[in-house]
Amino acid sequence: MSLTGPLLLATFLFCVGVYGVIARRNAVLVLMSIELMLISVNINLVAFQNLLFPTEVAVSGHLFALFIVGVAAAEAGVGLAIIFNMFRNRASVNVDDVDLMRW
Amino acid sequence: MNSWVELAWLVPVLPLASAVAIASFGKNLPGKGSEIGVLTLVAAFVVSIGIAWETFSAGTPEPFERAVDWSPLGGGFVFELGMLVDGLTAMMFLLVTTVSLMVHIYSREYMKGEPRFTYFYAMLSLFTFSMLVLVISNNTLQAVIGWELVGLCSYLLIGFYWEEKSNQDAANKAFLTTKFGDVGLVVGVIVLSAGMFGTGTSTPFNIQETNAAAMAGELSTGTIVLGMLLIFLGCVSKSGQMPLHVWLPDAMAGPTPVSALIHAATMVTAGIFLLARLFPVLAQSATVMAVIAIVGVITLFFGGLLALVQDDLKKVLAYSTVSQLGYMIAAIGVGGYTASIFHLFTHGFFKALLFLGAGSLIHAVHSNNMSDMGGMRRAMPHTFWTFIVGSLALAGFPLTAGFFSKDEILIAGDLWAGQGFATGSLVYWVGLAAAFVTTFYMARACFLIFAGENRSHHAPHESGPQMVGPLMLLAVLSIASGYLLSPFSSQEFNFENWTATPFVEDATYPFLDAGTAAGGDTVVAAASSLTLAAEGGEFSILHGVPTWHPDLLAIVLALFSIAVFLAWRFYGKGLPERDPTLQMGAFSRVLVAKYGFDDFGYRFVVVPVRDTFAKWASWSSNVVLDGIVASVGRGTKTAAMTTYRVLDQRVIDGGVNGAAFSAAWWSNRLKRIQSGDVQRYAGALVAGTIVLILAFAAAR
Repeated sequence: MSLTGPLLLATFLFCVGVYGVIARRNAVLVLMSIELMLISVNINLVAFQNLLFPTEVAVSGHLFALFIVGVAAAEAGVGLAIIFNMFRNRASVNVDDVDLMRW
Repeated sequence: MNSWVELAWLVPVLPLASAVAIASFGKNLPGKGSEIGVLTLVAAFVVSIGIAWETFSAGTPEPFERAVDWSPLGGGFVFELGMLVDGLTAMMFLLVTTVSLMVHIYSREYMKGEPRFTYFYAMLSLFTFSMLVLVISNNTLQAVIGWELVGLCSYLLIGFYWEEKSNQDAANKAFLTTKFGDVGLVVGVIVLSAGMFGTGTSTPFNIQETNAAAMAGELSTGTIVLGMLLIFLGCVSKSGQMPLHVWLPDAMAGPTPVSALIHAATMVTAGIFLLARLFPVLAQSATVMAVIAIVGVITLFFGGLLALVQDDLKKVLAYSTVSQLGYMIAAIGVGGYTASIFHLFTHGFFKALLFLGAGSLIHAVHSNNMSDMGGMRRAMPHTFWTFIVGSLALAGFPLTAGFFSKDEILIAGDLWAGQGFATGSLVYWVGLAAAFVTTFYMARACFLIFAGENRSHHAPHESGPQMVGPLMLLAVLSIASGYLLSPFSSQEFNFENWTATPFVEDATYPFLDAGTAAGGDTVVAAASSLTLAAEGGEFSILHGVPTWHPDLLAIVLALFSIAVFLAWRFYGKGLPERDPTLQMGAFSRVLVAKYGFDDFGYRFVVVPVRDTFAKWASWSSNVVLDGIVASVGRGTKTAAMTTYRVLDQRVIDGGVNGAAFSAAWWSNRLKRIQSGDVQRYAGALVAGTIVLILAFAAAR
């Protein structure tokens, strides 16, 4: 199997994630876009492990991907908690509305 | 070994400390500061006694010199601050501290109740300090400092009762007259030191080195004559020699204890002392010695005559001081080094006694005038007999101190005449005549004061113990001090050996080279001409106590008797209706007019200076100097304003403000980057990452 397919997929997903983080106004969607970027990295890691180092016993690529999934879950939890608080204070989840930390 | 001599610096320092202490907190003490003065003077007196004993018992003491470098003069020359202690210094220490101590004690009673009592004591101590600085100095520059301090203190004390204009005038007169001579002194010191520059020494002002160089012939004749004559001009003004004696009688305006201090110990002796110090230098030139002798002879005679017509007791004593100082100066001029300073020593005691006695009388009758006294013998017995002792000593009555010292001067003159100098005979004969005058005016004063009826408007009574005590002590000294150099003295321990420094002992008179002694040998005459008499004209032995001179004794006694008899005839029964000294026509008129010196000085010095020179000085000050000062001020102000407007306001303030304004302008624009919009940050992050990736890719 060729490495091109998974890499193209991962690139596409990453670009979609970047676009979502920069362009979406809804904070929940921003959070989801971040998840997309993390997933694209995971695809890369798994693909590299399987296709470039299939004989490695330690399967570090797979393990690293699992860690990222765990960290992503925790990050999503924290992020959602922030968004909840934001909503309670502002009655909005629009990131344009939270610009208190400006000049 | 030299324990006392090493402490010599204490002698001037103690009165200085006393002056400072009295001035700082004397007013709060029970004695208003006088006790500090007396106690420190006692301490200085004890040290002086120690030094005197140590040097006296050494026979001829070696000079003890210590000096610290005070400041470099450039070119490797150094100005020292030091002390030179030899017999001469020890003698002056003893004289100054004794008289000053007596005056300090005496003034406690005399000045009682005066306003500025504390100030008076501070000044007395400072005066003593000034004189001691001069006495102790080992170089001429330091001597000049002491000399000027003496002048300053005398100015302050003569003008002590400054509420009266005449006293201010007297102080000004004393200060300006002596200052005139001081110019000569300073220039003379510079001339001598300029000569010393040529000898390769690093301390051109050092007195011992100057003496040594002069004796070794390293100083040119011009330097010696010019330098010593200029220094002598300083001595003429300070030691009241004619024609600059005019300040001395006016100095009587000060309190009487101050007169005692000025006339006996601290001020007028300064000139004699300095001449004695530099004796080996002036002994190099016959011209200098002749000038000194002639000025001295004129002063001793004509100064004495002036005392004849005075009614003010203090003025009688003042003119007698002028006359006695003339004796000392004349003695220096005829080679009588020892005679001169011996007379200085004894005169200090009996003149202090006479002035303090006069103060006691003035205290009792509240008048300076002898016509207001009379009959004081019964009212003031102690003052009477001490005053008589002082008068006898001043008149040179046999066996008093004044007899021994004055006769030595006459003998010195006689011996000098024997060397073929006319000045010697002049000193001898004029000195004898003046001794007659002295006896007459002192006898006149004594009869007017003590004989006859009381003419005062007060009931006089004897002064208290603090005034009479010093009188008695000084009376004893007025007799005893003469026996330091008399036919009764020890051959080894006497005044001459004491005060003869090695330089003076070896002092030669180069102008005697053509000598009169055996076969034209180089004549080495001792500074002490007395020895010459004792040894009948041999020049080999330098030391010796005087022998009796029956002929001189007879003349002196005869003159004394005639003078006293004449005075008794005229004044023995009280104040005559017509005072004979005022009834001698033109002679009296000349004396009353004081030879016209004051008049001359007023007309040709004071008036031109006041009316013409002062105007020019005022014009040059107000117009020229003030104009220069004002234009410099205006220029400075303009420059400052320009600097302020251009440099300060434009450049510096502009720079500071510009920095602040540009910072504000830029920050107003740059702060917009900090929008608070997280997505913009993310976009910037991504863009930055892409740029970095592209940059690294390109770098590969």
